[in-house]
Amino acid sequence: MPTDVRAVSVSGNPEEYEDEHVHAIYDEIAGHFSSTRYKPWPIIAQFLSSLPAGWVGLDSGTGNGKYLPLPLDRPGQLWTIGLDRSINLLRIAQTVGQHYREVVLGNVLDFPWRYGAFDYAISIATIHHLSTHERRKAAVKSLLHSISPNHGRALIYVWAVEQDNLSKRVIPVAQQAGEIQTVKQKDKPGVDVFVPWVLKEPSSKPDTPAQATQASAKVFNRFYHMFAAGELEQLVTEAAEDMKLQVVSKQLRTTVAAGVSGVTAVQTGWERSNYYIELERWRT
Amino acid sequence: MVRLITHNLLACHVRGCNSNNFPLQFQDVQIGLREAEFNPDFLRGFLPKIEWNALVGAARQLGDTSLPEEQPSMLDDDFLKTLHHVLLEIHVEEGAMVCPNCKHVYPISNGIPNMLLAEHEIG
Ligand SMILES: [Zn+2]
Repeated sequence: MPTDVRAVSVSGNPEEYEDEHVHAIYDEIAGHFSSTRYKPWPIIAQFLSSLPAGWVGLDSGTGNGKYLPLPLDRPGQLWTIGLDRSINLLRIAQTVGQHYREVVLGNVLDFPWRYGAFDYAISIATIHHLSTHERRKAAVKSLLHSISPNHGRALIYVWAVEQDNLSKRVIPVAQQAGEIQTVKQKDKPGVDVFVPWVLKEPSSKPDTPAQATQASAKVFNRFYHMFAAGELEQLVTEAAEDMKLQVVSKQLRTTVAAGVSGVTAVQTGWERSNYYIELERWRT
Repeated sequence: MVRLITHNLLACHVRGCNSNNFPLQFQDVQIGLREAEFNPDFLRGFLPKIEWNALVGAARQLGDTSLPEEQPSMLDDDFLKTLHHVLLEIHVEEGAMVCPNCKHVYPISNGIPNMLLAEHEIG
Protein backbone atom coordinates (compact mmCIF):
# COMPACT_ATOMS: atom_id res chain seq x y z
CA MET A 1 0.00 0.00 0.00
CA PRO A 2 1.53 3.35 -0.94
CA THR A 3 1.71 5.58 2.11
CA ASP A 4 4.19 8.15 0.86
CA VAL A 5 3.48 11.68 -0.21
CA ARG A 6 3.92 12.70 -3.82
CA ALA A 7 4.15 16.02 -5.60
CA VAL A 8 1.27 17.07 -7.83
CA SER A 9 0.46 20.05 -9.97
CA VAL A 10 -2.91 21.70 -9.53
CA SER A 11 -4.89 22.14 -12.71
CA GLY A 12 -8.34 23.19 -13.82
CA ASN A 13 -10.95 25.01 -11.75
CA PRO A 14 -9.58 25.19 -8.18
CA GLU A 15 -13.02 24.86 -6.63
CA GLU A 16 -13.78 21.66 -8.54
CA TYR A 17 -10.25 20.46 -7.82
CA GLU A 18 -10.82 20.88 -4.06
CA ASP A 19 -14.26 19.29 -4.30
CA GLU A 20 -12.68 16.19 -5.77
CA HIS A 21 -9.39 16.05 -3.87
CA VAL A 22 -10.50 17.35 -0.48
CA HIS A 23 -14.23 17.65 0.25
CA ALA A 24 -15.48 14.42 -1.32
CA ILE A 25 -12.70 12.50 0.40
CA TYR A 26 -13.41 13.84 3.88
CA ASP A 27 -17.09 13.07 3.47
CA GLU A 28 -16.18 9.48 2.64
CA ILE A 29 -13.47 8.90 5.27
CA ALA A 30 -15.15 10.98 8.03
CA GLY A 31 -15.72 8.16 10.51
CA HIS A 32 -12.27 6.59 10.16
CA PHE A 33 -10.51 9.97 10.04
CA SER A 34 -12.29 11.14 13.16
CA SER A 35 -11.34 8.02 15.13
CA THR A 36 -7.68 8.97 14.59
CA ARG A 37 -8.05 12.66 15.43
CA TYR A 38 -8.99 13.16 19.04
CA LYS A 39 -5.95 14.62 20.81
CA PRO A 40 -5.78 18.41 20.86
CA TRP A 41 -2.35 19.89 20.13
CA PRO A 42 -0.80 21.65 23.16
CA ILE A 43 -0.36 25.14 21.69
CA ILE A 44 -3.98 25.22 20.54
CA ALA A 45 -5.21 24.04 23.93
CA GLN A 46 -3.07 26.72 25.59
CA PHE A 47 -4.43 29.40 23.26
CA LEU A 48 -8.04 28.48 24.08
CA SER A 49 -7.24 28.29 27.81
CA SER A 50 -5.90 31.84 27.71
CA LEU A 51 -9.21 33.38 26.55
CA PRO A 52 -11.59 35.14 28.98
CA ALA A 53 -15.08 33.90 29.91
CA GLY A 54 -17.82 35.07 27.58
CA TRP A 55 -15.77 34.94 24.39
CA VAL A 56 -17.27 33.41 21.27
CA GLY A 57 -15.09 31.93 18.55
CA LEU A 58 -15.06 30.40 15.12
CA ASP A 59 -13.31 27.12 14.34
CA SER A 60 -12.93 27.46 10.59
CA GLY A 61 -12.43 23.94 9.23
CA THR A 62 -13.51 22.26 12.45
CA GLY A 63 -13.44 18.71 11.05
CA ASN A 64 -14.64 16.36 13.77
CA GLY A 65 -14.83 19.27 16.19
CA LYS A 66 -12.11 18.16 18.55
CA TYR A 67 -11.40 21.74 19.63
CA LEU A 68 -15.04 22.68 20.28
CA PRO A 69 -15.13 21.37 23.90
CA LEU A 70 -11.98 23.25 24.96
CA PRO A 71 -10.87 24.50 27.43
CA LEU A 72 -11.67 21.31 29.32
CA ASP A 73 -10.91 22.83 32.73
CA ARG A 74 -13.47 25.65 32.20
CA PRO A 75 -16.30 24.03 30.21
CA GLY A 76 -18.93 26.43 28.93
CA GLN A 77 -16.93 29.60 29.53
CA LEU A 78 -16.23 29.94 25.82
CA TRP A 79 -18.41 29.02 22.86
CA THR A 80 -16.59 27.87 19.76
CA ILE A 81 -18.74 27.47 16.66
CA GLY A 82 -17.46 24.95 14.12
CA LEU A 83 -17.59 25.50 10.36
CA ASP A 84 -16.65 22.83 7.86
CA ARG A 85 -17.22 21.84 4.25
CA SER A 86 -17.79 18.15 5.11
CA ILE A 87 -21.31 17.36 6.31
CA ASN A 88 -20.24 13.93 7.56
CA LEU A 89 -17.48 15.38 9.73
CA LEU A 90 -19.98 17.96 11.06
CA ARG A 91 -22.38 15.20 12.11
CA ILE A 92 -19.56 13.88 14.31
CA ALA A 93 -18.62 17.37 15.53
CA GLN A 94 -22.25 18.08 16.45
CA THR A 95 -22.09 16.00 19.64
CA VAL A 96 -18.36 15.88 20.36
CA GLY A 97 -17.58 15.52 24.05
CA GLN A 98 -21.13 14.33 24.85
CA HIS A 99 -22.58 17.83 24.52
CA TYR A 100 -24.42 19.53 21.71
CA ARG A 101 -22.14 21.82 19.71
CA GLU A 102 -22.90 24.56 17.24
CA VAL A 103 -21.78 23.63 13.73
CA VAL A 104 -22.32 25.23 10.34
CA LEU A 105 -21.90 23.81 6.85
CA GLY A 106 -19.81 26.28 4.89
CA ASN A 107 -16.66 27.02 2.99
CA VAL A 108 -13.71 28.64 4.77
CA LEU A 109 -13.37 31.05 1.81
CA ASP A 110 -16.85 32.44 2.35
CA PHE A 111 -18.03 34.84 4.98
CA PRO A 112 -21.52 34.02 6.31
CA TRP A 113 -21.10 36.12 9.47
CA ARG A 114 -21.46 39.61 10.80
CA TYR A 115 -18.09 41.36 10.43
CA GLY A 116 -16.00 41.17 13.59
CA ALA A 117 -18.68 39.15 15.39
CA PHE A 118 -16.23 36.72 16.96
CA ASP A 119 -13.71 37.35 19.70
CA TYR A 120 -11.38 34.66 18.40
CA ALA A 121 -10.94 32.28 15.52
CA ILE A 122 -8.87 29.19 14.91
CA SER A 123 -8.02 27.52 11.63
CA ILE A 124 -6.27 24.24 12.25
CA ALA A 125 -4.96 22.04 9.44
CA THR A 126 -7.39 23.58 6.97
CA ILE A 127 -5.89 26.34 4.82
CA HIS A 128 -3.32 23.88 3.42
CA HIS A 129 -6.20 22.10 1.64
CA LEU A 130 -6.79 25.13 -0.60
CA SER A 131 -5.18 24.73 -3.99
CA THR A 132 -3.99 28.24 -4.91
CA HIS A 133 -2.12 31.02 -3.14
CA GLU A 134 -5.01 33.44 -3.81
CA ARG A 135 -7.53 31.08 -2.20
CA ARG A 136 -5.32 30.54 0.84
CA LYS A 137 -5.03 34.31 1.18
CA ALA A 138 -8.82 34.67 0.87
CA ALA A 139 -9.26 32.17 3.71
CA VAL A 140 -6.92 34.20 5.95
CA LYS A 141 -8.87 37.34 5.07
CA SER A 142 -12.14 35.65 6.06
CA LEU A 143 -10.54 34.70 9.35
CA LEU A 144 -9.34 38.27 9.99
CA HIS A 145 -12.79 39.62 9.05
CA SER A 146 -14.47 37.25 11.48
CA ILE A 147 -12.73 38.56 14.61
CA SER A 148 -13.23 41.83 16.46
CA PRO A 149 -11.16 44.70 14.98
CA ASN A 150 -10.48 45.84 18.56
CA HIS A 151 -9.43 42.71 20.41
CA GLY A 152 -9.81 39.71 18.05
CA ARG A 153 -7.34 36.87 18.33
CA ALA A 154 -6.62 34.11 15.85
CA LEU A 155 -4.50 30.99 15.57
CA ILE A 156 -3.64 29.32 12.26
CA TYR A 157 -1.95 25.93 11.75
CA VAL A 158 -0.79 24.59 8.42
CA TRP A 159 1.26 21.63 7.29
CA ALA A 160 4.99 22.32 6.88
CA VAL A 161 7.48 21.15 4.30
CA GLU A 162 9.72 20.53 7.31
CA GLN A 163 8.49 17.29 8.84
CA ASP A 164 9.51 15.93 12.22
CA ASN A 165 11.44 12.70 12.66
CA LEU A 166 8.44 10.86 14.02
CA SER A 167 6.62 11.24 10.75
CA LYS A 168 7.05 8.15 8.63
CA ARG A 169 6.10 10.00 5.50
CA VAL A 170 8.40 10.37 2.54
CA ILE A 171 8.30 13.98 1.37
CA PRO A 172 9.16 14.94 -2.18
CA VAL A 173 12.12 17.28 -2.29
CA ALA A 174 11.32 20.90 -2.98
CA GLN A 175 13.46 21.03 -6.12
CA GLN A 176 11.51 18.23 -7.72
CA ALA A 177 8.25 19.88 -6.80
CA GLY A 178 9.52 23.28 -7.96
CA GLU A 179 9.90 21.97 -11.48
CA ILE A 180 6.33 20.81 -11.49
CA GLN A 181 4.94 24.02 -10.07
CA THR A 182 5.69 26.37 -12.91
CA VAL A 183 2.47 28.32 -12.40
CA LYS A 184 3.21 29.11 -8.77
CA GLN A 185 4.95 32.27 -7.67
CA LYS A 186 8.69 31.75 -7.52
CA ASP A 187 9.02 33.32 -4.10
CA LYS A 188 6.58 30.86 -2.53
CA PRO A 189 8.44 27.59 -2.51
CA GLY A 190 5.77 25.54 -0.80
CA VAL A 191 5.03 22.12 -2.23
CA ASP A 192 1.73 20.84 -3.62
CA VAL A 193 1.24 17.17 -2.77
CA PHE A 194 -1.17 14.31 -2.51
CA VAL A 195 -1.27 12.65 0.89
CA PRO A 196 -2.85 9.22 0.81
CA TRP A 197 -5.50 8.13 3.28
CA VAL A 198 -5.91 4.36 3.42
CA LEU A 199 -9.46 3.46 4.33
CA LYS A 200 -9.96 -0.11 5.41
CA GLU A 201 -13.52 -1.31 5.17
CA PRO A 202 -14.60 -2.79 8.50
CA SER A 203 -14.57 -6.55 8.12
CA SER A 204 -17.66 -8.49 9.14
CA LYS A 205 -15.58 -11.38 10.44
CA PRO A 206 -12.81 -10.56 12.91
CA ASP A 207 -10.66 -13.46 11.64
CA THR A 208 -10.61 -12.35 8.01
CA PRO A 209 -7.25 -13.22 6.46
CA ALA A 210 -4.88 -10.34 5.85
CA GLN A 211 -5.21 -10.61 2.07
CA ALA A 212 -8.95 -10.06 2.25
CA THR A 213 -8.46 -6.94 4.37
CA GLN A 214 -5.92 -5.63 1.89
CA ALA A 215 -8.34 -6.14 -0.95
CA SER A 216 -11.06 -4.07 0.69
CA ALA A 217 -8.78 -1.13 1.51
CA LYS A 218 -9.23 2.00 -0.56
CA VAL A 219 -6.69 4.79 -1.01
CA PHE A 220 -7.82 8.42 -1.16
CA ASN A 221 -5.32 11.06 -2.25
CA ARG A 222 -5.95 14.27 -0.37
CA PHE A 223 -4.54 17.52 -1.74
CA TYR A 224 -2.24 19.52 0.54
CA HIS A 225 -0.13 22.57 0.03
CA MET A 226 2.90 22.07 2.32
CA PHE A 227 4.04 25.48 3.55
CA ALA A 228 7.65 26.59 3.32
CA ALA A 229 9.40 28.42 6.16
CA GLY A 230 8.10 32.01 6.32
CA GLU A 231 5.27 31.39 3.86
CA LEU A 232 2.49 31.52 6.46
CA GLU A 233 3.74 34.87 7.82
CA GLN A 234 3.94 36.19 4.26
CA LEU A 235 0.40 35.00 3.51
CA VAL A 236 -0.96 36.74 6.61
CA THR A 237 0.91 39.94 5.73
CA GLU A 238 -0.55 39.96 2.21
CA ALA A 239 -4.06 39.29 3.55
CA ALA A 240 -3.75 42.07 6.14
CA GLU A 241 -2.42 44.55 3.58
CA ASP A 242 -5.32 43.74 1.23
CA MET A 243 -7.60 44.69 4.13
CA LYS A 244 -5.64 47.93 4.74
CA LEU A 245 -4.50 46.69 8.12
CA GLN A 246 -1.08 47.67 9.37
CA VAL A 247 1.16 44.73 10.18
CA VAL A 248 3.15 45.72 13.23
CA SER A 249 5.58 43.63 15.25
CA LYS A 250 5.05 43.00 18.94
CA GLN A 251 7.99 45.27 19.79
CA LEU A 252 6.65 48.25 17.81
CA ARG A 253 3.01 47.99 18.92
CA THR A 254 3.35 50.75 21.53
CA THR A 255 4.77 53.21 18.99
CA VAL A 256 1.74 53.17 16.66
CA ALA A 257 -0.06 56.50 16.20
CA ALA A 258 -3.73 56.93 17.15
CA GLY A 259 -6.52 55.93 14.78
CA VAL A 260 -4.72 52.97 13.18
CA SER A 261 -6.15 49.47 12.60
CA GLY A 262 -3.69 46.67 12.55
CA VAL A 263 -2.66 43.13 13.21
CA THR A 264 0.28 41.71 15.13
CA ALA A 265 1.78 38.24 15.08
CA VAL A 266 2.15 37.52 18.78
CA GLN A 267 3.84 34.17 18.20
CA THR A 268 4.94 32.06 15.28
CA GLY A 269 6.60 28.69 15.21
CA TRP A 270 6.80 25.11 14.12
CA GLU A 271 5.21 22.25 16.02
CA ARG A 272 4.82 18.61 15.00
CA SER A 273 5.32 19.14 11.29
CA ASN A 274 3.16 22.25 11.24
CA TYR A 275 3.75 25.97 11.10
CA TYR A 276 1.55 28.14 13.27
CA ILE A 277 0.92 31.82 13.76
CA GLU A 278 -1.04 33.54 16.49
CA LEU A 279 -2.51 36.93 15.58
CA GLU A 280 -4.10 39.83 17.38
CA ARG A 281 -6.19 42.57 15.80
CA TRP A 282 -6.14 46.01 17.39
CA ARG A 283 -7.18 49.59 16.89
CA THR A 284 -5.34 52.53 18.42
CA MET B 1 -27.51 22.82 15.87
CA VAL B 2 -28.85 26.24 15.18
CA ARG B 3 -29.32 27.89 18.50
CA LEU B 4 -29.89 31.60 18.83
CA ILE B 5 -26.27 32.15 19.85
CA THR B 6 -25.27 31.11 16.31
CA HIS B 7 -28.19 32.85 14.64
CA ASN B 8 -27.02 36.10 16.25
CA LEU B 9 -23.70 35.82 14.39
CA LEU B 10 -24.80 34.59 10.95
CA ALA B 11 -25.47 36.96 8.06
CA CYS B 12 -26.34 36.55 4.39
CA HIS B 13 -23.26 36.45 2.16
CA VAL B 14 -24.74 36.36 -1.31
CA ARG B 15 -22.73 38.51 -3.72
CA GLY B 16 -23.84 42.14 -3.50
CA CYS B 17 -26.08 41.53 -0.48
CA ASN B 18 -24.32 43.88 1.94
CA SER B 19 -27.06 45.76 3.76
CA ASN B 20 -30.11 44.60 5.68
CA ASN B 21 -28.62 41.08 5.39
CA PHE B 22 -28.96 40.44 9.14
CA PRO B 23 -30.72 38.95 11.04
CA LEU B 24 -31.86 36.01 8.94
CA GLN B 25 -35.56 35.18 9.34
CA PHE B 26 -36.63 31.72 10.45
CA GLN B 27 -39.05 29.86 8.22
CA ASP B 28 -41.02 26.61 8.72
CA VAL B 29 -38.94 25.59 11.70
CA GLN B 30 -39.14 22.56 13.95
CA ILE B 31 -37.58 23.19 17.32
CA GLY B 32 -36.42 21.04 20.22
CA LEU B 33 -35.69 22.13 23.77
CA ARG B 34 -32.66 20.65 25.46
CA GLU B 35 -31.23 21.56 28.82
CA ALA B 36 -27.74 23.03 28.83
CA GLU B 37 -25.47 23.82 31.73
CA PHE B 38 -26.02 27.32 33.12
CA ASN B 39 -22.84 29.39 33.00
CA PRO B 40 -23.37 32.96 34.28
CA ASP B 41 -19.73 33.98 33.61
CA PHE B 42 -20.12 33.14 29.96
CA LEU B 43 -23.41 35.02 29.69
CA ARG B 44 -22.09 38.16 31.40
CA GLY B 45 -19.08 38.22 29.09
CA PHE B 46 -21.11 37.56 25.93
CA LEU B 47 -24.00 39.92 26.67
CA PRO B 48 -22.33 43.19 25.53
CA LYS B 49 -21.63 41.63 22.10
CA ILE B 50 -25.16 40.39 21.41
CA GLU B 51 -27.23 42.16 18.76
CA TRP B 52 -30.10 42.50 21.18
CA ASN B 53 -32.96 43.39 18.83
CA ALA B 54 -32.03 40.49 16.55
CA LEU B 55 -32.08 38.09 19.50
CA VAL B 56 -35.43 39.30 20.80
CA GLY B 57 -36.95 39.11 17.31
CA ALA B 58 -35.55 35.65 16.60
CA ALA B 59 -36.81 34.32 19.94
CA ARG B 60 -40.29 35.63 19.15
CA GLN B 61 -40.20 33.92 15.76
CA LEU B 62 -39.57 30.70 17.68
CA GLY B 63 -42.47 31.40 20.05
CA ASP B 64 -40.44 32.59 23.04
CA THR B 65 -41.40 36.02 24.37
CA SER B 66 -39.49 35.89 27.65
CA LEU B 67 -36.83 38.49 26.78
CA PRO B 68 -37.45 42.20 27.47
CA GLU B 69 -37.38 44.65 24.53
CA GLU B 70 -34.52 46.53 26.10
CA GLN B 71 -31.44 44.90 27.51
CA PRO B 72 -31.69 45.36 31.29
CA SER B 73 -28.91 47.11 33.15
CA MET B 74 -29.29 44.86 36.20
CA LEU B 75 -28.04 41.35 35.45
CA ASP B 76 -29.75 39.33 38.15
CA ASP B 77 -29.92 35.53 38.12
CA ASP B 78 -33.50 35.47 36.85
CA PHE B 79 -32.57 37.47 33.79
CA LEU B 80 -29.41 35.45 33.15
CA LYS B 81 -31.41 32.21 33.35
CA THR B 82 -33.91 33.55 30.84
CA LEU B 83 -31.08 34.61 28.56
CA HIS B 84 -29.40 31.23 28.97
CA HIS B 85 -32.56 29.43 27.93
CA VAL B 86 -33.10 31.59 24.85
CA LEU B 87 -29.49 31.49 23.66
CA LEU B 88 -28.55 27.91 24.41
CA GLU B 89 -31.55 25.66 25.01
CA ILE B 90 -33.77 26.24 21.98
CA HIS B 91 -32.52 24.14 19.06
CA VAL B 92 -33.79 24.70 15.56
CA GLU B 93 -33.66 21.22 14.03
CA GLU B 94 -35.34 21.67 10.64
CA GLY B 95 -36.50 24.56 8.51
CA ALA B 96 -34.68 27.46 6.95
CA MET B 97 -33.29 30.93 7.46
CA VAL B 98 -34.19 33.55 4.87
CA CYS B 99 -32.24 36.73 4.11
CA PRO B 100 -34.44 39.79 4.80
CA ASN B 101 -32.78 41.60 1.87
CA CYS B 102 -32.23 39.21 -1.07
CA LYS B 103 -34.53 36.42 0.18
CA HIS B 104 -31.87 33.75 -0.22
CA VAL B 105 -32.94 30.60 1.66
CA TYR B 106 -30.41 28.82 3.86
CA PRO B 107 -31.80 25.39 4.74
CA ILE B 108 -31.42 23.79 8.16
CA SER B 109 -31.35 20.00 8.24
CA ASN B 110 -30.73 17.80 11.29
CA GLY B 111 -29.73 20.92 13.17
CA ILE B 112 -27.04 21.96 10.69
CA PRO B 113 -27.50 25.17 8.70
CA ASN B 114 -26.26 25.03 5.13
CA MET B 115 -24.49 28.31 4.41
CA LEU B 116 -22.92 27.13 1.15
CA LEU B 117 -23.66 29.14 -1.97
CA ALA B 118 -23.29 28.29 -5.63
CA GLU B 119 -20.15 29.81 -7.12
CA HIS B 120 -21.99 32.61 -8.94
CA GLU B 121 -23.71 33.69 -5.69
CA ILE B 122 -20.53 34.14 -3.67
CA GLY B 123 -19.59 37.72 -2.85
ZN1 LIG C 1 -29.04 38.27 1.18
